[in-house]
Amino acid sequence: MTQLLWSDDFCIGVESIDHEHRELIILLNEICQALGGKSGIVKDKLMGELFARISAHFALEEKIMRNHRYDRYQEHKLDHDKLLDELREIMDDHEASGYASAEKLVKALVSWFTLHFKSEDARLHRQLG
Amino acid sequence: MLVVIQKVGTRLFRVFEELADRFFGPKLNPFYQLGGLAFFFYWIVAASGVYLYIFFETSVTEAYNSVERLTHEQWYLGGVMRSLHRYASDAMVLVVVVHLLREFCRGRFNGVRWFSWVSGVFLLWLMYASGVGGYWLVWDELAQFVAVLTSEWLDWLPIFNMAMARNFLNEAHLSDRFFSLLSFLHIGIPLVFLLVMWIHIQRISQPKSNPVGGLAWRVLLAMVVLSLIKPAISMDPANLDKVVTVVDLDWFYLGVYPLMDSWSYGSVWLLLGGGSFALMLLPLVVRPKRISVAEVELENCNGCERCFVDCPYGAVVMQARTDGLPYEKEAVVDPDQCVGCGICVGACPTATPFRRQGAHVAGIELADFAISELRERTINAAEALSGENKVFVFGCDHGDELNSLKSDSVAVMSLPCIGFLPPSFIDFLISRNYADGVVLTGCRDGNCHHRFGIDWTEQRLTNQRDPGLRQRVSRERLSRLWYGAGHIKQLRKELTAFQEKLKILGPNRVKKNRVSDGDVDGEELRGDL
Repeated sequence: MTQLLWSDDFCIGVESIDHEHRELIILLNEICQALGGKSGIVKDKLMGELFARISAHFALEEKIMRNHRYDRYQEHKLDHDKLLDELREIMDDHEASGYASAEKLVKALVSWFTLHFKSEDARLHRQLG
Repeated sequence: MLVVIQKVGTRLFRVFEELADRFFGPKLNPFYQLGGLAFFFYWIVAASGVYLYIFFETSVTEAYNSVERLTHEQWYLGGVMRSLHRYASDAMVLVVVVHLLREFCRGRFNGVRWFSWVSGVFLLWLMYASGVGGYWLVWDELAQFVAVLTSEWLDWLPIFNMAMARNFLNEAHLSDRFFSLLSFLHIGIPLVFLLVMWIHIQRISQPKSNPVGGLAWRVLLAMVVLSLIKPAISMDPANLDKVVTVVDLDWFYLGVYPLMDSWSYGSVWLLLGGGSFALMLLPLVVRPKRISVAEVELENCNGCERCFVDCPYGAVVMQARTDGLPYEKEAVVDPDQCVGCGICVGACPTATPFRRQGAHVAGIELADFAISELRERTINAAEALSGENKVFVFGCDHGDELNSLKSDSVAVMSLPCIGFLPPSFIDFLISRNYADGVVLTGCRDGNCHHRFGIDWTEQRLTNQRDPGLRQRVSRERLSRLWYGAGHIKQLRKELTAFQEKLKILGPNRVKKNRVSDGDVDGEELRGDL
């Protein structure tokens, strides 16, 4: 079972963003657990919840980047949009089958997060810090 | 009674607006920029006025001659400036009156708009005071006519008590000093006018205080051409020892003077003063309809500011967090400014039908039309659709009545404003195969009842504004028809054509055995698939 553990590496130094990162990781882990047993509806709801919360999170992060006139804003935003598209792909491809074979893709999501934290968000941390 | 006048007026405006659309296109249509045009004419008048003032002599004896020199000897520049000065002033009266009538027909005088409306009444007086004062300065027979009548009219008021009119009793009585006062007034009053123009737009977010460039230069060109072919000229010089009998009136500004001549001054005060008073009382007498305002759900709001940025009425502000969550800001709705258009909801990243846990879905919602209700009604309407080429039509309460478009394969829903629709609803409908295609319609392009609904929707669909419509949603399954009310036949034709196109496109990604979207949250109503 995939689990994403919170690491202080994920802190970017902005309280609201770090708070949301923590919350999102909790939700991601909940989804990973649900993949094992829960019904299709529950999984779909969790995915929908993830979609809504990530959308809100990205909106906030992008606003903060704009306020700080962050130089890599466009690239970072592009990464955000790509992720939301991937999330929607997973939802569309697997919702009908109750996310039966979705574990691989959710793993992909998890590793995306880790990579995104380590690269884009870490750079953001350095710029804002 | 008022409603009848508004309805008739709106229909009339529609005819002219659509005619103008054909010549100018929606972006340059002057009817959608009347206020901006008024500002533009002000600047033309101000700039030409500065030029004129350089050459104008403020003594009684020299005023007329200085204007004559400008008009005839310097006809190519000074004369043009004088004509521009006059015609732009006239044009300003025209656009202001049309603007007033248009806002009245659209009901924009009460509720949140009372401030703009009432300040507008003051602007009418200031505009006329500025314009009439200008005619005095030429000191020709027209000026004499206007000056004598105006001062006698003002002297009717107890505060003046016959003092001003005495200046115009005969030639000997008019002094240079008084004349200089008049010319200063013609600078001072327009400056106050500008100040109140600024005040007039204070409670409007992103006011159009300039016409679009393409319209501006065309209008300026037209003014210059008019100035060249029909220059403004003076009448004979004023002579206070004679009574003026024939005048060349500028009907835009001076239309009330013949009335002053034939009626009593008191009656004209009653007409103008009473009329202004009635206009100002309108917001109190005609109350706005009850509105379902927007409300913030703090647990879903992280202060991303999208609603704040998108609100056309400045009704959403960002303030310091009050619920202890580690976010810097929260959105706050000022119910006195909110008109319930729902554009803020369309902007919110959490307003999505994919989310279905919790009573409240989005960070900001309309009190009477929650996202969960929009989701439920959308799904119910779509599930009733059958056949191929299923289409879901979203429209707005100010566009055409859509029910006549309903059929086995077409569902319709009217929203407070098309900007209320979060783009992810389109994604939801198409990707879950509730519909093969989605049509968005509403007001006429450029004429959104809520100012920015169409613009923001278009920008969201082309990913120039967040929240964007996800790129993966095929734009070929989306049709936007911004015709405005009164075009149901055209809508029906386009809808049929759209369904034909969908037939050619072929079936959507077919989702068999769709997991139920219509259950209550928190419960597992069906077993695992």
